[in-house]
Amino acid sequence: MAESTVHQSRSRDLDKLLLRPGNLVAPTFEPGAQLRDDLQEYARILVVGAGGLGCELLKDLALSGFKNLEVIDMDRIEVTNLNRQFLFRLEDVGKPKAEVAARRVMERVSEYDSDDKPIEETVKPMVDGGTEGFKGHARVIIPGSTPCFECTIWLFPPQVKFPLCTLAETPRTAAHCIEYAHLIKWDEVHSGKTFDPDDPEHMKWVYTEAVKRAELFGIQGVTYSLTQGVVKNIIPAIASTNAIVSAACTLETLKLVSGCSKTLSNYLTYNGVEGLHIKVTEFVKDKDCLVCGPGVLLELDTSVTLQKFIDMLEEHPKLLLSKASVRHQATNLYMQAPQVLEEMTRSNLNLPLFELMGKVPRDIVHVTGTTSRDGKKASCLRKLCLVFKGADAVTDQDMAVGA
Amino acid sequence: MNGEELTEQETALYDRQIRVWGADAQRRLSKSHILVYGMKGTIAEFCKNIVLAGVGSLTLVDDRDVSEEALSANFLIPPDESVCRGKTLAELCCDSLREFNPMVRVSVEKGDLASLGAEFFDKFDVVVISCCSLATKKLINEKCRKLSKRVSFYTVDCRDCCGEIFVDLQKYNYAKKKTDGTAECELQYPSFQEAISVPWKSLRPKVSKLYFAMRVIERFEEAEKRKPREISIEDLPAVLKLKKELCEEQSLNESHIPDTLLERLVMGAKEFPPVCAIIGGTLGQEVIKAISSKGDPLKNFFFFDATDGKGMIEDISNPNLLS
Repeated sequence: MAESTVHQSRSRDLDKLLLRPGNLVAPTFEPGAQLRDDLQEYARILVVGAGGLGCELLKDLALSGFKNLEVIDMDRIEVTNLNRQFLFRLEDVGKPKAEVAARRVMERVSEYDSDDKPIEETVKPMVDGGTEGFKGHARVIIPGSTPCFECTIWLFPPQVKFPLCTLAETPRTAAHCIEYAHLIKWDEVHSGKTFDPDDPEHMKWVYTEAVKRAELFGIQGVTYSLTQGVVKNIIPAIASTNAIVSAACTLETLKLVSGCSKTLSNYLTYNGVEGLHIKVTEFVKDKDCLVCGPGVLLELDTSVTLQKFIDMLEEHPKLLLSKASVRHQATNLYMQAPQVLEEMTRSNLNLPLFELMGKVPRDIVHVTGTTSRDGKKASCLRKLCLVFKGADAVTDQDMAVGA
Repeated sequence: MNGEELTEQETALYDRQIRVWGADAQRRLSKSHILVYGMKGTIAEFCKNIVLAGVGSLTLVDDRDVSEEALSANFLIPPDESVCRGKTLAELCCDSLREFNPMVRVSVEKGDLASLGAEFFDKFDVVVISCCSLATKKLINEKCRKLSKRVSFYTVDCRDCCGEIFVDLQKYNYAKKKTDGTAECELQYPSFQEAISVPWKSLRPKVSKLYFAMRVIERFEEAEKRKPREISIEDLPAVLKLKKELCEEQSLNESHIPDTLLERLVMGAKEFPPVCAIIGGTLGQEVIKAISSKGDPLKNFFFFDATDGKGMIEDISNPNLLS
């Protein structure tokens, strides 16, 4: 079996998608062998995480013809990973995930071309997936057209945090007893020593204390398994959900890179808890998004000082922001607190904002401060788009910006 | 594995999934025996999922030799030619699957599945077949139904970038957790023969087009005495003609079976790896549900099409036809 024949036959499925025109293709789609070869030789995919989804993704992407895959993971392999992270074996426990995963994938895939030249792209689409038990999601983020990560941050369920007074005075559930032992009692008894969730002795200690506390309050349900779950925030996980979600992500990656079909638009949810449910929702961009939104537009004179600008924010009807701190790109132009930073940036207040921002005619700043809503004060962060009236087209970069 | 309780090794390995479905379900899984036929991409994915989940045993049947097309979607086959020589598809997959979980007994059965008798099928709790002709599907399904114990039966097929799963759990009882305790549920499944005999016109108006398209392809391959997937673009005119005839016979409007869909299925006899993963994942989950008696099982067809990312469940059964 000649090598070239193998390669040709191997991509026969992909050829159906990449060598022919179609009804659902992207406007920029150019079918042909060049596209297929470019996909394999030039497209570079970064897979973040070599765990449940990562292992599946690496397999799916490699089988789909992508040759340049890079994987990042800071963790090492544990026994409890083996029920779904199938690139790992019992003898791999303790080794770094990313290294073992990459090696196993390479063993199954033929040659790797080390001479890759990535094509410059200004837009880098991102495919994101997540799972928990029987539930999962896959979605596509295309900067500029779909909602960004920040736009849909409200989709994340709220973090489970117990009020300190509940833990200290009035526990009602087994989890309360466990967190009491973990967060309060540990420091009381082992002051200075850091709690290590991977140390079985530490975990046993927390479990024993949690049981004592539960007995005191007549609470049922403290087990060693629950203790681990609460302290390590264990997410229940099974192989099949990961398989489904990773595959959906791979399909979208293939479509995005090649343009061979319409991409998912734009958020897929999978729920296998009762029966089977898959839904695709088209979320829209949040126009007030702090990251991808245009920001509140403000027109300013080039002579306006930073102090005057901060005062203006209090009066502006869309903002009503008091005690504002101002940040431009990576620089804090003025910080209200802490004291040391306030002193360092105070000298900027008398300078024209136009100069502080490098004399560009238009740019983004982020401001934090307090607003009043329904009589209640709340801190908030806003994105502003500042346009300077009468600014020159040529920017003067020769400007020392204050700390 | 052989006693009543899970061993310490099992509890550690299966920790994350025991938190999903409980130790009781895990015990049942470890005692289950699965038979699988047709080692293509989707089945490879399915096998990976149930072996990782920790079933008792898995028996593979597929005497075919490794082919080039098998390499492109079946990740269980090693790429090294020298390793593949002389071994059947089932044997190669068996070696790979054993690595995923040493606690599962994975083995190979040689021979023609259709010729194996009742005593053979009686050893299993679940039978899953793929790449089978219409006749074989009906035959194996009937063999399962004739046994005194209840055997769950599944077929799965992926073509182009879509897939179909069929489920027959016969008379299935399970406990469903409700807010005020548990309720006993019973579901009555039709056999494959009974399901496909349901008149097309009596199905709900928006039923998945893939259902009809798959039936047309199935009938075509049977009429032309082809092996499953032995079909190509030259057959398209004949397939379209058959579609017309079947639609007339069933008094179904032809728009329910778009020509473009049939064309995709005719040309896409090969499988597409990510679609195999989705279908294989779904099937894995269904089999785990049936063995553990936990969760509402799928009744009775599932369709997936990657072009729009939609997964559809269709209940194709006629209460009047069931005994």
